[in-house]
Amino acid sequence: MSTAQKKEKTVKARADLALNDEFLRKAVRFTTERLRNGKKKATAEHGNWEEWRERGRQIRLHTIAHLDYYLNLFVNNARANGVHVHFANTAEEAVKLTLDIAEHANAKSVVKSKSMVSEELHLNHALETIGVEAVETDLGEYIIQLAGEMPSHIVIPAIHKNRYQIAELLSKEAGYTLPPDTTALAGFVRKKLREKFLDAEIGMTGCNFAIAETGSMVLFENEGNARMVSTVPKTQITLMGMERIIPSWSDLEVMATLLPRSATGQKLTMYMSGITGPRREKDADGPDEMHIIIIDNGRSLQLGDPEFQELLNCIRCGACLNACPVYRHIGGHAYGSTYSGPIGAVLTPSLNKNIAEWDDIANASSLCGACYEACPVKIPLHDMLVYLRRRKVESGHGNKLESIGMQGFATIMGNSSRLGGVLRLGKLGQKLVVRSGVIKTKLGPLKGWNTYRVTPSLPKESFREKWDTLDQELKAGLRQMDPSMKQRMEELVQKRERERKEGKGGHGHG
Amino acid sequence: MADTHKQWLEKLEAESRAKQELFMNNIASKLRHPRMTEKPQHPFRGAPDFWKAFEWSEEERIKEFTDNFLSVGGHVARLQTMEDAKKFIADKAGEMGAKYIVRQNQPELADLGLEQQLPDSQVSVWNTDPGQYWRARAAEADFGIVIADHAVAYTGSVTVLSAENKGRSVSLLPTVLMIIIPLDRLKTRLGEVLSTFDEAGREHLPAGIHFISGPSRSSDIENDLTIGVHGPGIVYALLVG
Repeated sequence: MSTAQKKEKTVKARADLALNDEFLRKAVRFTTERLRNGKKKATAEHGNWEEWRERGRQIRLHTIAHLDYYLNLFVNNARANGVHVHFANTAEEAVKLTLDIAEHANAKSVVKSKSMVSEELHLNHALETIGVEAVETDLGEYIIQLAGEMPSHIVIPAIHKNRYQIAELLSKEAGYTLPPDTTALAGFVRKKLREKFLDAEIGMTGCNFAIAETGSMVLFENEGNARMVSTVPKTQITLMGMERIIPSWSDLEVMATLLPRSATGQKLTMYMSGITGPRREKDADGPDEMHIIIIDNGRSLQLGDPEFQELLNCIRCGACLNACPVYRHIGGHAYGSTYSGPIGAVLTPSLNKNIAEWDDIANASSLCGACYEACPVKIPLHDMLVYLRRRKVESGHGNKLESIGMQGFATIMGNSSRLGGVLRLGKLGQKLVVRSGVIKTKLGPLKGWNTYRVTPSLPKESFREKWDTLDQELKAGLRQMDPSMKQRMEELVQKRERERKEGKGGHGHG
Repeated sequence: MADTHKQWLEKLEAESRAKQELFMNNIASKLRHPRMTEKPQHPFRGAPDFWKAFEWSEEERIKEFTDNFLSVGGHVARLQTMEDAKKFIADKAGEMGAKYIVRQNQPELADLGLEQQLPDSQVSVWNTDPGQYWRARAAEADFGIVIADHAVAYTGSVTVLSAENKGRSVSLLPTVLMIIIPLDRLKTRLGEVLSTFDEAGREHLPAGIHFISGPSRSSDIENDLTIGVHGPGIVYALLVG
């Protein structure tokens, strides 16, 4: 998927684009506020939220810690249900398997419900290369597919489009002009996609949770398109991250309590579907053939890593995006990858085991910890961002200027006469740039800082230059206390001692 | 194609089984433990204990279910008998001019006698004619009529299970969905329904278990709520008993 956003190489450059787009900024702020307030209300109403979070965390921790057992159990049960299970170590392998299945199903079109894993694989493009039309059927995903863009939010992918832009896109598809009216636009999509659902040979879904003990897969959605793609076409392909497992349906109650409330503030999504195998022999709907592709694609790199293993606990609710002050300002596209926000900032480099390339998204965070507070399974994302920055520096991918700066700092600070010399030079040099006591220039080394602030000028006399005087004053002060003051203080101490012996207690601490 | 479809699937399965071992071994080695073959102790299974003890009275369940279902744009009717349900559905069908109706093939629904009640409508009974393409019948239907297998008051949800006589499409493709909920199936918590699937076990689960909590909806265009995006936009929950 090629996008205009991808051309800009750094988060800063992409964020500049986003910050310049007034509509996007407002839309992101409005939507994230709405979702965040929805979550706050839903969690308060439900009550005991901390206990639910802790329970959710424990279930996820337990499952991941025994993932070889639970995943294996899931696979065996799914197979017993008649599902064709496949394994893909990489995105390429998953794509290859999908294309193979599509070719054997003689597919001309594939209808898809929202799946972040599918975004991860850039599957639509691959399907096109073998002449298979891939149709996104989630309303928001359909819109951005027509626009040829990437989702900008895990839960609301077309957050960055207004209804005039959407009307224009859909009108092009319809061949006639549609009004910029939400109901009319959604009505057109309903009709258009109905045909696609009934035509398509393959339905493709993601997987929110997979239940190990019964080999079932669970989907949460509001529109009904995930049910469509898993009910109507003859063949179903489900893409599943290897960490989506939970042990039982009873555990699903906890996930179903945490996920919708954290994502959209709902008590439950309009549809929650548990699918256990293809249609039974006598059923008149549901897929004849069902495939589940279990995908690693960098996930197992987190296993056994004490700093990052908890990343696999993520249930993809998007609450950390809505809580993040940085995301709220720059939007999802600035992160330049499938997963945005705090989770994306950690997940993307981890999945890609490529800290160098994605290094700068770890810096798109103020480390305030709002993401951790919002996370329904308590993933310490803010700590992980620090670990990531540390690893980046350790592996020699730190900011070059910053490293040189730090080395220079060490050289200068390591020697007092050198520091004195530099400060004197600075005082001379700043005469060129100081205006009314501050430095406002956006040239040279102060550019980044001065873009949003001003730098104070160096004082006439530095702290170090004042030191000798200060030192003498201090020493003199300590040596010769005024005799009357000394006497007063001694009396006070004696008084307190007496009170303590009489049991009165000195400072009111009782 | 040199190989038949079956041979191709068998080939894939052989590859999958070989890879399964490598995949699981890799996970175990990353987790730094030998391959786990025994079921581990899972002390945190399911909801917290305080929650499992929580239960509403029937009156509260009816009230909470109703409030929840209404709050998401669904409709609720409280009815005494199946006879009332029959009248309600027939009235609505007349009111909305429902021409095509599809219903699950269940005796309780047959007893409603909608065919006689609505002579102007075409009432199809799910999966009664093997020559039909039933998905298309459901897609063209104005009304879909189902009976809930379970319902949950706390989330305002209805559960429908698929079977030979109960199509998944009937609760999904029609424009209007009528769900009859016998009151004794209305529980307080989601867990009360979910645990029945653990108890039933893998072999006894249907292909499709669907929780429905209201009409299909989306807020994908400018956060503006739209009802009936893909699934039914009008959903009636008829609490009977």
